[in-house]
Amino acid sequence: MTIKKRATWHKRHDLPWLLVFVLPAFLIVVAVQFYPLAYSALLSVQEWSLTESQAPQGFVGWDNFARELGDSTFQRSVRNSIVITGGAVILEMFLGVCLAYLTMGSSWRMRAVRTLLILPMVIAPVAAGTLWRILLNSRAGLVNHLLGFIGIKGPEWLASPDWAVVAVILLDTWQWTPFVLLVAGAAIASIPEDLLEVAAIDGASRWQVFLYVELPLLMPLLLLTLVFRTLESLLSLDSIYSLTFGGPGFSTYTMTFYIYTQGLRNFNFGAAAASSWMFMVFASICIWLVFWFQRRER
Amino acid sequence: MKKMLLLTLITLLALPFGALAQDMPHAGVEIVATYMQSGTYDVGAENIEADFEAATGIELELVASPWAVLNQNHITDLTTGTGEFDVMSGEFWIASVYDKMLPLDELVERDNFGGDYIPTIWQPGPSGYFDGHRIGIPYSADAYGIVYRTDIFEEAGLTADWETWDDYLATMDKLAMHLEGSDVAPSVFAWGAAEQTPSIFLGMYDGYLVDADGNYALEEESALAALQQMVSLLDYNPEGAAGLSIDEANSVFLTGNAATMICWVSFVRAAAQNPDASLVVDNWAVAPFPGPGFPFLSAWNLFISEYSENPEAAWEWVKYYINGEQATQRFVELGVGSPYLSTYEDPDLVDAYSHDFPGMVHNLSRAQSVPWVFEAFEIFFRNTSELVIGSISAEEALANTLASWAEVTVPPALVQSAAAQGQQQDM
Repeated sequence: MTIKKRATWHKRHDLPWLLVFVLPAFLIVVAVQFYPLAYSALLSVQEWSLTESQAPQGFVGWDNFARELGDSTFQRSVRNSIVITGGAVILEMFLGVCLAYLTMGSSWRMRAVRTLLILPMVIAPVAAGTLWRILLNSRAGLVNHLLGFIGIKGPEWLASPDWAVVAVILLDTWQWTPFVLLVAGAAIASIPEDLLEVAAIDGASRWQVFLYVELPLLMPLLLLTLVFRTLESLLSLDSIYSLTFGGPGFSTYTMTFYIYTQGLRNFNFGAAAASSWMFMVFASICIWLVFWFQRRER
Repeated sequence: MKKMLLLTLITLLALPFGALAQDMPHAGVEIVATYMQSGTYDVGAENIEADFEAATGIELELVASPWAVLNQNHITDLTTGTGEFDVMSGEFWIASVYDKMLPLDELVERDNFGGDYIPTIWQPGPSGYFDGHRIGIPYSADAYGIVYRTDIFEEAGLTADWETWDDYLATMDKLAMHLEGSDVAPSVFAWGAAEQTPSIFLGMYDGYLVDADGNYALEEESALAALQQMVSLLDYNPEGAAGLSIDEANSVFLTGNAATMICWVSFVRAAAQNPDASLVVDNWAVAPFPGPGFPFLSAWNLFISEYSENPEAAWEWVKYYINGEQATQRFVELGVGSPYLSTYEDPDLVDAYSHDFPGMVHNLSRAQSVPWVFEAFEIFFRNTSELVIGSISAEEALANTLASWAEVTVPPALVQSAAAQGQQQDM
């Protein structure tokens, strides 16, 4: 038997076994991933308020999408999501890379510093939100108290529409910069020493070495981190729930908070499903933009 | 002979069990009751759980959840027909599922249940009703009120006998002059707890909440005036008041930094008389809540699910938990406002709470619940919060609220509740 014939025989002979082993996993993936997606797609084109009916109340086509798109609270939650995620992720990427460089090394001091810096990441977001709510209390909070020491009158963090957004960005940055630090630190450590030495021998300054040697090598991992962080930040609900509860007013209503309210507080399942699909499109565009940028860089 | 002896012995042995079965007709039955996780209502239930089980033989499981989760659980359980809970703790927030609650008229009549309730609390609205049938039994009653510093009022030669918000604001002006230069603010309120702001609005608003067609609505002129008056109150509050949570506002009053506080009295009652937590012990009292509107009422009810497989056992728990004696005990031990007149007429308590009871009973007798489902409530409080922080005007807050309300359906039970409490527009 030739090699080609043997391969074909194997393919035919193994196919039933392959199916036996692959099919259960495939069915599980379909059940846990595609079924909910398909069901939510179905719900998004139906009217269904759980408090009015135990079953969907009829096909409404694109009405749910049109209504949500025209809703000023939804529009505001999209704007807030862009501002909060954009602000937080940019800060996290910048601070994370800076801290990774500052804490390079394997001495016990550096290891201890890195461990300390990573701590916020292991706190449950809802607890972190509560903690920061106490810290940012305008009358008795530590933050304004410390600002007072240096002669600055602290703002009304949670009562001002603008400062509340800043507070949410601060919380996200505080909690998730360590993630960028971890990834960037590992990436920096993996850059071959001889590349840096060659650049130095060629007369490159430290800044030039970073810009032309290290950054291009770090870029793929940093972009991946950017994708992770963008997604995570967009999806974040618990920290906003405990820090501002979407307020004051609608100031920190994000898309996730809006969907949560529609679905689990007001039980408007049709509207919540439509909003979720729009959120998914929105998140996909954000991710596509990052990958597009990555391809362009290559 | 031996057989006769054995039969007699068995009969004698079985007698106590027969008697037990008569005393405990529901022995061995399992029921589940829900409560809000608040450290008050739930603790009150836990405190008597063992006694109830011993007295009735019913196995009781108590499930306590935070407010939002509790409501979600109830609505999901009843709309899906899961039937997980036999006895449910709730208020008008779950009116959309009132049609899934067991009518209690027959049980109430059969057991002559009711007693000396404060009349307004036993009426539709504060008491859960659906289609003219009682479905809920109130076990707590707390009305929005104003607590004030008796020492400061005495110094300033003022009295806290206001009838309208105009009177209250006039008193605030006088207090502001009297307190000028001190750290004490004339008034404080938890403006940062946005869901509390409707309580002030409802006190200032003199109009309907549901229109003649059964839709959410407000009388625009009166609503606008109330919104504007509500915001004007901020001028009498301490700096940074727009961000105060309930605890923070309470703390301002308890540390002596406010002459009056608009609040749920039950949230501050115990702490204000505790020397470890308060600088105003014996120097405060409850004042009438001004009109022309009404004090917002919180009256928790126990409902029995129509899916309960053991409604009689569930009713046993309702009777055991809700009665004048238990209500007074919960008031004394946990600060839970009682819906029973007997609590406020108890000679021992009347003396101890002379600063509290007159104002409280006055406010409770005028208090009303609102016909808002949570979605309608949230739309309103988010917009009033935007108004309070200065993001929008009173006109915009009103227009936004009415526009969003147009999308929300009023459950029939709440239309009936509004009609019963005079909150519906005349036909």
